[in-house]
Amino acid sequence: MLRFEHSLIPQTPYPITSPKGPKARVHTPKLYWILPPCSRQDDVPKFYQLSSKISFTILLFMKIGLNKILLLLALATGVAFADPIPAEALTQGGLPMRDRQLRDIGLVLRGGRGGFIDIGYTYTPSSEQLQLKSQYGVHNGYAFRHHYGVFGSWVLDPVSHFGFLTWFDRTGWDSQDFFFFPHYGDFAHISSALTWGFSYTNSKYDATVALGLQHQNLEKAGWRAYPHESDSLLFYWAHARFKNVSFQGSFYRNTFQTLRISLELESRELYGGAGNGIMTYLPNLSATIYRRKTGDDDDNFIRLNWEQNLYKQILYADVSYDFPDDGFRSAALKYYPDPSRMIGFEASCLRRHERSGAKDLLWGGAIDLLFLRFAYNSAFDYENMFHAKGTFIVEFKFNIGSTPDGKFFGRGAPKAAPMETTQSQFDMKKFMKSHADQNMETPTRDSEGRKVLHAKGIRYENEGAATATTSNEGGY
Amino acid sequence: MKYLRLFLCLVALALTACMSHLFVDTTTRLQLENKTDVTILGLDVVSEDGSSVRPWIRDTIEPGEKSRVFEEDWVGTFRVRVRFDKWNAGALVSIAKACGTYSRPNRVYNTLAKQGEPNVFEKNISGCGSEENVHMVYTETDLEFEGGSQYLVVSQDSTGNVAFKFK
Repeated sequence: MLRFEHSLIPQTPYPITSPKGPKARVHTPKLYWILPPCSRQDDVPKFYQLSSKISFTILLFMKIGLNKILLLLALATGVAFADPIPAEALTQGGLPMRDRQLRDIGLVLRGGRGGFIDIGYTYTPSSEQLQLKSQYGVHNGYAFRHHYGVFGSWVLDPVSHFGFLTWFDRTGWDSQDFFFFPHYGDFAHISSALTWGFSYTNSKYDATVALGLQHQNLEKAGWRAYPHESDSLLFYWAHARFKNVSFQGSFYRNTFQTLRISLELESRELYGGAGNGIMTYLPNLSATIYRRKTGDDDDNFIRLNWEQNLYKQILYADVSYDFPDDGFRSAALKYYPDPSRMIGFEASCLRRHERSGAKDLLWGGAIDLLFLRFAYNSAFDYENMFHAKGTFIVEFKFNIGSTPDGKFFGRGAPKAAPMETTQSQFDMKKFMKSHADQNMETPTRDSEGRKVLHAKGIRYENEGAATATTSNEGGY
Repeated sequence: MKYLRLFLCLVALALTACMSHLFVDTTTRLQLENKTDVTILGLDVVSEDGSSVRPWIRDTIEPGEKSRVFEEDWVGTFRVRVRFDKWNAGALVSIAKACGTYSRPNRVYNTLAKQGEPNVFEKNISGCGSEENVHMVYTETDLEFEGGSQYLVVSQDSTGNVAFKFK
């Protein structure tokens, strides 16, 4: 296999049956992609389908009236409904940040092969959108969350895959927004978490082990607005998976921080399971023990997560529940137009434990359009953006995973993105023949129709021999 | 072309995200003018529970005088306290604490919205033991600072209360 052809054109009209038989195919002109070598079958991501879905959504928006949407956004991002974020949420943001990274890593290590990339940057254009509520009052500024995650693996031998992964988050609040260089205002709080490690996956036993370190650093905490914190904390973590059961733990010195057991019972085509049928309706369960201190006493709690396929792996419910005392935590209904989860819509409900009754529930939703995510009051942002609510949060983001055979999928997807399979097997004999045909000169014929050969090279005549031979092999 | 325009708009929006400091002030340069007939000893930002105090204007401002300009990172809505040397009008709330029952003083201040009620307090704590004597005449209010150069006029209204006005 010397070359890979990837078609971007939907349903390319390949004449499957040509006069010469089914094997002969005519290649219509198409765009070529340079993608890593995968299989003999050239798999082509149907990005055009995704992009058509995106453009359909955009067109839908335009039909409703882009102006109205923009006006709505402008109103919603304004001061009217936005609530300031509490300073305590910033100082307590370390655990959610580290836990989310480990959950992401757990999803990626479900396969343990191929690669994954995730990058995101939240965008809140107004300084009065996510203000800071300190003990002195309400400060204008910007809450932010920048993150990336990369996982890549190498094939050591046919069953062994060695991987390296890095997850990085930089979150906080500052009086100015920035891409890389913060302003470091007097009330800024900027912290980061870096998780990295190595993984080994054995595809024969369908098992993965991974371990690494997790650094949590306090880059800046403004004077007097925040309690004193440790500026640098080192955790270590480990992950082990056998088929669809996995254990994960993170530790600080000799005490655990989180311990998680996950049972991914749902059959996922991406990992060799069924593509449809009753097995895809089994639940994905995980239980996490979080270390929590109330005063000097241990007040550990367990969070149960239950992800359930409701319809054809495009509609999911996700419920989390806290034991022993806090009870219901959050629920989300997620709709992915395609099981590869490149695009998603979700409605979520989160219990905040601040009030009693229905007032305590935070209802919201999010639209994920591959490169853009719009969210309003979504449970994810409440937990990962310092209890941000009452305002639209826009995130420029991208995440995509790839399998060793060159298929693509979104985070946590059960199936790869639809691929177009074209049989363009490379035939060396045909290639050589056609190549030779092109180079061969058409023989000239004389007036009587006989072929005239023009000899090239050096020719020696062996006149004395009984059988006269002609050689052009060099005549040594 | 339609999408190109949309894309360019998105790029432009994305770029403004790190350029907002060109048109958004992140500090307030505050100058205070004293139009009352008593001396102002300073202006502080205090926490809502009164436990933390950050001085902002550290000048003593005589009646009719202006302070120097002090630049601080206060942009938003904060509780501001202005300390006076004394208060001449009759409208004054006294907070007195006796020795031995020291706790955080109960704040009985009124907001400026309630016109006619006194908003100037005289706190008089006679300490014992390690505590010190505290005597302070002050007013407290929530003010919104938009950033940039701001000029605050402190005056006395007809009811004898303190009035604040940005100019």
